[in-house]
Amino acid sequence: MASELSHPVVFTTATPYPLPSQKFMIPASWKRYQLSQLVNKSLSLPSPVPFEFLVRGEILRSSLGEWCQEKGIGEEETLEIEYFESVMPPQKMSSIPHEEWVSAVSCQVPGYFVTAAYDGQVRIFDYSQQLLRTIPIHDASATSVVVIGQPSASAEHNSYLIASASHDMTARITKTPFGGSDSDEQSAVTLASLHLHTAPIASIASNLPGSHLLTASWDNLIGIWDTIIPSADEVPADDAPERKKRRKNADNSASKPKRKAPIGVLKSHTARVSKAIFSPTASNKAFSVGFDSTVRTWDVENAVCTDTITASSKPFLDIAISPSGDFVLAASTDRTVTQYDVRSPTLSTAALSTATFLHPSTPSCIALPSGSSSNNNANTNNNSQQFITGAYDGTVRLWDRRSARSAVTTLKVWEGQNHGRKILSVDWSESGVVGIGGEGGVEVWRVQGSGDQALGLGGVVRAAAS
Amino acid sequence: MAPTASIKSTKKRKAAAVEDAPAETSFPQEVGLDLGSEGEEDGVEGDDEDDGEVDEFPEIDAGSDSEEEVEESEDEDEEEEEEEEEDSEDITDVDDDIRPFPISKTVISDITGQPKRVYPEIEPDYDSDSSTEDAPNRVGNVPMHWYDDLPHVGYDMNGKKVLRPARGDELDKFLETVEDPNSWISAFDKTAQADKPLTPEELDLIRRLQEGENPDASYDPYEPTVEWFTGKGKEEVMPLSSAPEPKRRWVPSKWEKQKVMKIVRAIRAGRIVPNKPKSEKPQFYSVWNDEPSTHPAPLPAPKPRLPSHAESYNPPEEYLPTEEEKKQWEETEKEDRDRDFLPQKHSALRLVPAYNQFIQERFGRQLDLYMAPRIQRKKLQIDPNSLIPKLPSPASLKPFPVYKSLSVSHQKGRVRTVGISPDGSWAVSGDESGVVSLWEVIVGREVKRWKFDGKIGAVEWCPRMDVSFFVVAIEDHLHFVVPPNLHPTVLSATLAVLSPATLPPQPDTPSPVKWTSVAAASYSADKPLLSIALPPSSGVPKQVTWHRRGDYLATVSGGEGQGGVWIHQISRRHSQAPFKKVKGVVQLVLFHPTKAHFFVATQRYIRIYNLAEQKLLKTLLAGIRWISSMDVHPMGDHLIVGGYDRKLCWFDLELSDKPYKVLRYHTRAVRSVHFHPTYPLFASSSDDGTIQIFHARVFNDLMTDPLIVPLKILRGHEVKEGLGVLQAKWCPRQPWLGKLSTVKGGMADPAKWSHCASDAA
Repeated sequence: MASELSHPVVFTTATPYPLPSQKFMIPASWKRYQLSQLVNKSLSLPSPVPFEFLVRGEILRSSLGEWCQEKGIGEEETLEIEYFESVMPPQKMSSIPHEEWVSAVSCQVPGYFVTAAYDGQVRIFDYSQQLLRTIPIHDASATSVVVIGQPSASAEHNSYLIASASHDMTARITKTPFGGSDSDEQSAVTLASLHLHTAPIASIASNLPGSHLLTASWDNLIGIWDTIIPSADEVPADDAPERKKRRKNADNSASKPKRKAPIGVLKSHTARVSKAIFSPTASNKAFSVGFDSTVRTWDVENAVCTDTITASSKPFLDIAISPSGDFVLAASTDRTVTQYDVRSPTLSTAALSTATFLHPSTPSCIALPSGSSSNNNANTNNNSQQFITGAYDGTVRLWDRRSARSAVTTLKVWEGQNHGRKILSVDWSESGVVGIGGEGGVEVWRVQGSGDQALGLGGVVRAAAS
Repeated sequence: MAPTASIKSTKKRKAAAVEDAPAETSFPQEVGLDLGSEGEEDGVEGDDEDDGEVDEFPEIDAGSDSEEEVEESEDEDEEEEEEEEEDSEDITDVDDDIRPFPISKTVISDITGQPKRVYPEIEPDYDSDSSTEDAPNRVGNVPMHWYDDLPHVGYDMNGKKVLRPARGDELDKFLETVEDPNSWISAFDKTAQADKPLTPEELDLIRRLQEGENPDASYDPYEPTVEWFTGKGKEEVMPLSSAPEPKRRWVPSKWEKQKVMKIVRAIRAGRIVPNKPKSEKPQFYSVWNDEPSTHPAPLPAPKPRLPSHAESYNPPEEYLPTEEEKKQWEETEKEDRDRDFLPQKHSALRLVPAYNQFIQERFGRQLDLYMAPRIQRKKLQIDPNSLIPKLPSPASLKPFPVYKSLSVSHQKGRVRTVGISPDGSWAVSGDESGVVSLWEVIVGREVKRWKFDGKIGAVEWCPRMDVSFFVVAIEDHLHFVVPPNLHPTVLSATLAVLSPATLPPQPDTPSPVKWTSVAAASYSADKPLLSIALPPSSGVPKQVTWHRRGDYLATVSGGEGQGGVWIHQISRRHSQAPFKKVKGVVQLVLFHPTKAHFFVATQRYIRIYNLAEQKLLKTLLAGIRWISSMDVHPMGDHLIVGGYDRKLCWFDLELSDKPYKVLRYHTRAVRSVHFHPTYPLFASSSDDGTIQIFHARVFNDLMTDPLIVPLKILRGHEVKEGLGVLQAKWCPRQPWLGKLSTVKGGMADPAKWSHCASDAA
């Protein structure tokens, strides 16, 4: 070993485990495991902490020598290696079976899961897999659900506004208390239905403060809505079948939902829009993707498209944006997830597409760790590099942006079941809880980034254990 | 006269004999003397001759040999005459001395009493002495070579043998030639057995022969002309013929004049230079004076390759071919072999056999020399890659489907047919157990399910965008079904189309086809809104096809004898059978996308009818035994036809009634073909469980042929009961493909529907 080639290496880190900044001579045959052991031993940590190592922005997957050979880096060059705590293998926490396919899952409210299913109902579960409420909002399949506003802000109230979109061409805003059960005196009330689209609505999204909503529909339009519940119908009620539908609804809701009109319509897409989201940083900015292979940047206030990234033959299915608003990730049916830089409007598409993540099957959904967490420590830096994707082959992949070659880890859902295993939705809360919705219902996994133990995950673990 | 002549002749002979040795210059004088004396003494007879001779050749050199010989011959003649005269006349000679022969006397013999000649006794004087002479050989006139083998050469006067004289040896001969100055003009006389000098006559003969002249000395090639008609008094006065004198005798020749003028003109023009200065060419020149040539020296012939170890009679082991190599070498064509021998190992040079290709090689060389190619090459040396047409690479023709994105299943029964909504969001499929399912294309979720009685023959979505419904064809019936979750405006439009408040007036002639619809008020999504009852026992419609505008649809039913083709018009709620009688069983029908044309495919032929003018336009001959499927390009000028015998034909309708291209890529029967409505793609599905995707670019320019590029074979369908992919259809807006097949036997889902998405990676 001693006679083997070795590389001069300097270690840096943002974690609370810094090594003295001196040059180490690392044997070329060392891999991640040896490096991690070196850090652990030299710091003599009480419990071993696994680390991942970043060499020049890439996660080290092979031995150091092989990496150098591949990059053509000489033996004498000093490498700067950054390390951070590695992701623990994800653990399956629970499985919540559903009768119908789950088209959307949200775990933004700590302690609860909100799911939208193809039977048009929105269900609320708590961490102990208990079905708290079933809210029949829609007649047709619900496609998307989102909790409006900051979950933490109204936590004491324990009552939330949720917005859901459906194939019945409307989106609805429903006020529902979390906790308790259907039998409680408090029940969910559908406050407003949003009428604009003439085709099924693919998704709905809200901005961080919860003041505005975006709906993306199959009729190439994106609707901008505020969340103020009008006192009267803004859209005249139309003909008979619509009335009939509402009559059906009237069983559950005491008062009729108010028919609400959009405050703006974004039209530029030439094909079905699959998702529209707000920028987490700029309140008047929005992004959308569609089947016309474009990623569009919108000025919401003026309802104009400010920038268009045109890919070639990539019908996009989903989009997610980093908490910092630097880049977007878009999943397309050509089995890729592509990362686009959206910081400044540029002309060339090639420069914008910074990384492409190849999937063996169609990726249908992307999630980043939830954007609301600007609160805590250094590992936001780390977490912002990671995202998860769910695909039609029933596999959720955790990726690191720095290593596009292969996923960091994969987790397979609904194993051993005979029905299809398409994943239609994933959500990743800041506490490391990943909700996965799809053909087989909902599964909850815990993906533990570093330092996540401090947060409410203990509850999940306890709930799973019970 | 005779005595004088004889005297003269003897004189002359003497003179000749005497003056033979002295210089010949004296001889003409003698002749001159003779002539003079002759002229004196001769009579008139010879005078003319002699004069003529002298007159004729005054300049001829009297001293020449010929003259002398002439004289001599004349002399001889004279001698003979003299002898005759002597014989005839008995003249007593005056001078005995001079006489050459003794003169005989005629006396009366004492014994016989007869007169006899008596010659005087020969006096042995010098003249008559012959004792010094050798005894002449008297062998007679026989060839001397008779005596070659004998010791003698003849006989003498006494009959004794004349012995062959001894001949000297070579040295003697040589000495003789040196000593005797005449030896070079002497020759061996066989009769005499001695060298005799040649006579002047003989020498002259030899000379004449040497010079190529006539050997006869008496022949005169320069005889004087005898003027028979020239000279005074000898002219011909009378003409030989009475023909008038021809004109050419006195008219100057035109042709000569032309020729002369031609030359004159050439001289004037300068083409002929009369006194052309002769170009001075040096007779000798220096070889080395020229500048050295700037051309490169010709390439030397390539050196023959040095023999390798393999050509040795005892090559190392590694050069010896293995069995496979030997076999391969023997199997390759002679001209394709990389080397023309097989290395063989012989332990010693003496064991090397003879070259067994000797005859062949020599024959080949001779063929080469004969300017004949050594081998008759039948094979054409064509790079096979050059024959492949230049097609663009499939990567440049994206997007097209490359992978299976979704698959959904029917619970039981074979899925026969699939229809896709014009916006590409929904798909509907029907199976043989009567279940019709509505699917969301992207997610693959079954949105709704209908149950009908009996097999579903076909489902087809109405191509109109403002309304949304589809047709389900089952046994003897067509059902028009409205999907759920429609926008209210679309729904009301659909209801108005299918179940109008005021029905159009019934046509005059009652049709066997009954239209029944549910009132719009009592509409429910679970039941068909409109039903068409085809004539009973017409069977399950095999095909439903819509006109582009969505008002007409055509159905083909199997069972009926009429061919079972019906065209239904939604707005008038009227059905009609366009054909009274159709030859053959109609397989498929199709509306032309832009014109009022109607394609009808029977088992083997495709007929194109003009519906407006109601006449047959064209008959296409596909060369397929049984047509299974057909689709027309959205532009309307091209048609693809699939057959159960695995062929797929592309027709250019402008071009010909024969296929422009026949594609035979499927290993089993082709089940369906479909053009993509917007992308330049088409797909064919087959019983071999594959779907083949082709790029099909059609140019507006009539001169450019359509470009057909095979792109992708989509596999993954199981083949069950010999049936593969029964129908494949494109989603209209995206490069996605809906397909269906009968797969997965057993208890679970025997049918499957899936779609593929494009892949750019």
